[in-house]
Amino acid sequence: MFPWVYGFEWNAGTVIFLGLFFTVVIVILTTVTVAVVRSLRAFAQRKHHAVGWEAQFEDLGREARPCRHQLAGETDQRYCRHGFECKDCDFHRKMLDVAEGEAGDAPDRYFHRGHAWVRPETDGTVTIGIDDFGAKVVGPRARAKLPRIGRRIHENGTGWRFLLGDDSVRVLAPVTGEVVAHGGRDEGWYLRVKPLDGPFDLGHLLQGPEVRPWMEHEMARLLRLIPKDCHSDLTRDGRMVDDVTAHCSGLDWDVVCAEILLEP
Amino acid sequence: MDRSIIPRGLERAPLGKFLLWLLPWVLLLGFGLYSAYLCLRYGLHQTNMDNRFAFGAWIFLDLTVIALGAGAFFTGFLLYILKRRELKAVINSAVVIGFICYSGAVVVLMVDVGQPLRAWFTFWHPNVHSMLTEVTFCITCYLTVLAIEYLPILLKNRKLRQIPAFLVFEFNLHKVMYVLAGVGTFLSFFHQGSLGGLYGVLNGRPFVFREAFGIWPTTFFLFIISAAAAGPSFMLLTTWIASKVSGKRLVTHYVYESLGRISGYILSGYVLLKTADTLFWIRDTAPSLGVHPASFFANQPGYTALHLLEVALFGFLPMAIFLTKRLRARLGWLVTAATLTCLGIVVNRYVLTIQTLALPTLPFAEVLSYVPSWQETGTFLMVIAYGMLVYSISFRYSNLFPQERELRQG
Repeated sequence: MFPWVYGFEWNAGTVIFLGLFFTVVIVILTTVTVAVVRSLRAFAQRKHHAVGWEAQFEDLGREARPCRHQLAGETDQRYCRHGFECKDCDFHRKMLDVAEGEAGDAPDRYFHRGHAWVRPETDGTVTIGIDDFGAKVVGPRARAKLPRIGRRIHENGTGWRFLLGDDSVRVLAPVTGEVVAHGGRDEGWYLRVKPLDGPFDLGHLLQGPEVRPWMEHEMARLLRLIPKDCHSDLTRDGRMVDDVTAHCSGLDWDVVCAEILLEP
Repeated sequence: MDRSIIPRGLERAPLGKFLLWLLPWVLLLGFGLYSAYLCLRYGLHQTNMDNRFAFGAWIFLDLTVIALGAGAFFTGFLLYILKRRELKAVINSAVVIGFICYSGAVVVLMVDVGQPLRAWFTFWHPNVHSMLTEVTFCITCYLTVLAIEYLPILLKNRKLRQIPAFLVFEFNLHKVMYVLAGVGTFLSFFHQGSLGGLYGVLNGRPFVFREAFGIWPTTFFLFIISAAAAGPSFMLLTTWIASKVSGKRLVTHYVYESLGRISGYILSGYVLLKTADTLFWIRDTAPSLGVHPASFFANQPGYTALHLLEVALFGFLPMAIFLTKRLRARLGWLVTAATLTCLGIVVNRYVLTIQTLALPTLPFAEVLSYVPSWQETGTFLMVIAYGMLVYSISFRYSNLFPQERELRQG
């Protein structure tokens, strides 16, 4: 195998055969090393939450990631390929250029696709909660495991978790920041988060006229997860019931919540 | 605990039923391990092989599983290099099956060669002129590649992916997978070929000796093409079996159809080349070695029948089914054609391994007969049991068929 090993001969056959063999070994080792180095670098640069989200985003079905401009009726069917990070999307930039000058007042609340809402506060912090639709899917039986005060959350990383029995699903954090306060069940599960450096960038969150069609899209997605004979049990007095999965026997809380809260 | 590691949204049998399914395979594995132990402890006289019949059931079945396991490299090649995106639906299953086939073949080879603790000798002092050296190097490297390709499937498990380091590493490994797919294709190309070339260079055995292009006899190329044709068929068949056993729809019909179409196109090339190769052998190769081709088949009706079966029933017929659009639209026909193609591989490897060695090489010698001993059979059944266990566990705890969840939701 090597020139110093007994029986080794310098001839064309040996050079070609072992040359190819060592090339293959080097390619395999280099490939694995590249993957290891990239992973270590992601942790060193604290980008592992973003990389983790990218990995999960690839596993989401198309129906779970419609483009916000499709929801707003500005384009035909179009799916997001950027992990809902609109600042990375050329199409979004183009649409913003077209709509220049039409910006209205800043909305009271912004919505993340993982059903977290964000409300900017006057002191520069934001309050984060789960929207009404998400809360009704999760239901009142579930308890939340909120991050400790002082802990950092990362955009598209885990904001907090809901637990029911042995099952647990996470709510995606809509922004990056440090948790400065939180509230329990009676206050409607919320986090108060302060930015880490500079003001929050909320450009990737849905707002204004985008929200209603998105909610309708999510409702359609929920109905697809639920057997047809249960559909009539989901509303009472024209309003969605408080604990969706409890109203349909055989429906898996974990599966429905994970699908709606975008955890593959 | 069990439920929390089953991929979300997939329905699996209760744990008790699953363990009951595993039980016979575990027992078979135990029997196989005992058989292998006897062979390693007391030597090859536990088998019915001898100095004249040096390649027996193990080599025949090894060649078969390696050809059928070609689905892994070929599916990877089609998906990552040729961008046939629909095959993403079966790539995980292809990798697991490839890993099982190759690791199983290596284990049986280790028992066959004996003295596994001295296996390093092959690498340290390689005979670079030997086809078997090339096979050894390529299979070892490719098994390493398959193990690396298997890793992301394991790391994507619902519990494991909650560990950020695993999720990030799996993602980065997946990003460079096309390089490994390319390496796998290169390695498979050569070791599938060299396994065929091994027979083609036996000029003392005119039954299999073939003319060469460069340094490679025609069997080198026929093995590559036949493995490439059988790989997608085996994928189709195993997906269908997994679907039947689990009672779930795992992929759309389009995926089955695509695998069938690919298999059909390659099979048509193989049937054409195999026919041309056989005719050339009858007209030129065998006579040039002083042997009349008919002499091999004289008083051996089974030989003629197998040759006809291999080309006509297991070659031409599945090719015609795969390439007929109307038949491809029906899953029953696709499964039939895939089964025939895989049987074709079994017959081809049987003819080249067992018949070749059975035929006399001297005028006064007689046709040899060989029946594997129970220890040989047991050792190979060990690989079948191991494969069933690995695949069953992978199927339960990993998302081998990404379309399954979507299809379940309707």
